[in-house]
Amino acid sequence: MRILLLFTLLLPLTTLSQGFQVNLQGQTQQGMASAGTALIQDASSLFFNPGGASFVNNNEVSIGATMVASKGTFLEHNTFATANTTSPLGTPFTAYGLFQLKDSSKLKLGLAVYTPFGSTVEWEDGWSGRFALTRLQLLSVFFQPTVSYRITDKIGLGAGFVYSYGKVNLQKDIPTLGQNGNYGHVELAGTGHGLGYNVGIYIEPTDYLSIGLTYRSQVNMKLNKGTATFTVPESLEDKFPTGDFNGTLPLPQVVTLGLAVKPNDKLAIALDVNYVGWKAYDTLAFDYVENTESLEDTKSPRNYKNIFVFRLGGQYTLADKLAIRAGIGYGISPVQDGYVTPETPDANRISYTIGLGYKIGYHFAVDASLLYTQIEREDTNLETNLSGTFKVAAFAPGLALTYKF
Amino acid sequence: MQLKPIILLACIYSLSACQPEIAAEELSLGEIDPTTYVAIGTEGTAGYADDALSSTGQVNSFAQILADQFSQITTINFSSPILLGTAGINLDGASKLILGYKTDCKNETSLSPVRLAPQGDISELSTNIFGAIGPFNNMGIPNTRILDMNLSGYGNSANGAGNYNPYYSRIASDEANSSILQDAIGQNPTFYSVQLGDHDLLSYALSGGTSTIPPPANGAAGVGFDGSLNEVVQSLNGIGAKGIIGNIPDITQFPYFTTIPYNGLTLNAEDVVTLNSVFNPLGLTFQEGDNPFTVEDASEPFGVRKLEAGELILLSIPLDSVKCNGMGSIVPIPDKYVLSHNEITILKSKLTEYNSIILSTSQSNNIAHVDVNSFYNSLNSGIVYNGVSMDANFVTGGFFSLDGRNLNPIGQALLANKYIESINDKYNSRIPFADVTKFSGVIFP
Repeated sequence: MRILLLFTLLLPLTTLSQGFQVNLQGQTQQGMASAGTALIQDASSLFFNPGGASFVNNNEVSIGATMVASKGTFLEHNTFATANTTSPLGTPFTAYGLFQLKDSSKLKLGLAVYTPFGSTVEWEDGWSGRFALTRLQLLSVFFQPTVSYRITDKIGLGAGFVYSYGKVNLQKDIPTLGQNGNYGHVELAGTGHGLGYNVGIYIEPTDYLSIGLTYRSQVNMKLNKGTATFTVPESLEDKFPTGDFNGTLPLPQVVTLGLAVKPNDKLAIALDVNYVGWKAYDTLAFDYVENTESLEDTKSPRNYKNIFVFRLGGQYTLADKLAIRAGIGYGISPVQDGYVTPETPDANRISYTIGLGYKIGYHFAVDASLLYTQIEREDTNLETNLSGTFKVAAFAPGLALTYKF
Repeated sequence: MQLKPIILLACIYSLSACQPEIAAEELSLGEIDPTTYVAIGTEGTAGYADDALSSTGQVNSFAQILADQFSQITTINFSSPILLGTAGINLDGASKLILGYKTDCKNETSLSPVRLAPQGDISELSTNIFGAIGPFNNMGIPNTRILDMNLSGYGNSANGAGNYNPYYSRIASDEANSSILQDAIGQNPTFYSVQLGDHDLLSYALSGGTSTIPPPANGAAGVGFDGSLNEVVQSLNGIGAKGIIGNIPDITQFPYFTTIPYNGLTLNAEDVVTLNSVFNPLGLTFQEGDNPFTVEDASEPFGVRKLEAGELILLSIPLDSVKCNGMGSIVPIPDKYVLSHNEITILKSKLTEYNSIILSTSQSNNIAHVDVNSFYNSLNSGIVYNGVSMDANFVTGGFFSLDGRNLNPIGQALLANKYIESINDKYNSRIPFADVTKFSGVIFP
């Protein structure tokens, strides 16, 4: 897992998909709006459709990363004050290894490492929503050992076990003013673990058509004994004791139906429809081990709803070595009116992507992609009364290297 | 969606997305001209807080905040008679309150409002500053009753208590002869705010109902509430100014009157025996647990009775006497520390009368009306502003200052926004609200 250490493990403000889901799990798919459940091209199928991985003809090792540059702005109603995010660059990454035990075996084994959920957002100092949030860093890394089996020439089944590791760091100001003129502050930091699975079936009834159906289970990230660090005026320190807290963050289940058509040797068109179980995220709760009259457990309503995301992508092979890709995605926001937060300012969105694939000899391939999306959402949060318009834009160029053998 | 290719490429090149922009609605003053804004009022308008007038309170008065919001649209000059010292000053000569540690008669130390300094900046009240830096747009004068608004010589100490106000004396154009209203009119205001009547109720309530009953609703200027208010509003309207008038909050809901419970007398078995041996002959019985405090009442045969639910104890009550010297039990609470049912009824009916006059005055003079009473009611039931929960609890509530009856800067900013809401409604303006999170609340040591 040396690769992991190479990246800064920062994930972007969630401009790339709905809620804090990050759909950047493969460069070939990212060029096509992240559609690929029924279009099997490389080892990234371990994520997109474990059932299709057995249809990849090589052993493969692939690593990739996407640099997400996103910026957000908030315009507050009534005061007309604006605040910007100073979110750092995010680098969600992937590492895939796909192997067959012996030549021509129908059984393939694989390991996928990817970052399907995350968010980093940091609002500018002194912004008017700072008692709701100043900074959120949320990261999850999924490790998915996978078995994929080709039952017939037309059908493949696959299943992966998911172990997830997560990290959260949430900070906000507390409205207790000290003599130094500073407000109080709390940092909630912790790590968590969760288990889940990813199963899929891939069917190729004809050379022109393929179908994929996958189910990625919900993963409950349990934060045990995170540390809540309070910085408050001295006279209030016993009311805000620094100590442990517990919490759970549900990472939702996703059902995907994919369809791919190949009218000729050069053209492939893929359509994915995701149904994402965001309804699981109804409350953000923090359970402080030590409560006081000022420090009670918090339960913030999120009330996300289940949503559909539609992804349509195409790939055209210009020459044997070069393929170009483009895609468009439309996602419905899981965040309902009255529940938009500065953690995940979210809205229905359109994403545009383009991509490029280039083969270097037999062994190597380079794939690149670029995504652009922006959202705008006006809301008054029912819990905090923070009222205004969020607007966020993001570019996400990515690159992957694949070695086949 | 409009994609601008060149910008897009530049953004990609720099690997940082371009900052998105949201078009804000255009600000506008609508039908008002706040170039010369004059604020008329009492404690709140002056920025009196923490039981004293102080510079920090003055620069955070809702009138000042209003002026600051106006000045986001047009250049205005709004001058206030800012005190030079930092201690502040009240009419008892004391400094303002800060939150500190206090040791009580039982030698227990706890967080409590304490005076910032042994005494206030007394000399500032005895110096007239009109000649040097007057006139002043902020004509909010603490402790002003509505009948005194056009009282000539209200700054003249020779007129004696009740007809003289040192805060006005300090800023009067002519201490011997001028009145507050004259000095306001003299500035030829183009816009004005009026927040009057609250002190009439407050001065009665702060005396525990022992002082003069608040003025009658009807009567000529200087005699009745409506005549005095009309004189103010009509004089200002007469010179072509547009304005806004705020009504009066229900002061009995302030923490000053609600913090100490009527039945805060907690007794053990031993206490009960002692008290009953004294009071049973007078017809009063006590039991273990929570009991109503005892209070002086001249209408009772023995001059003492138990408080009843709904009656209010003032924060001015000497707490050490209660804790260690039997006040409220063996020694009945003096009348001046308590608002009885009768006194509360007087306050509530005056409030209703005054507020209906304020509303009709605003209508007949065609000026904006701000429902300050409902604003306070919403605060009392608790609000959440940008994630900050606030209520009317003493010290911890968030928007009352440490005196439990005047607003702190956060409260003043909230009130200013209520004013702006009404101005925007009435005069078709779009004046931005103040960002309340930029204002300070209680400062903790």
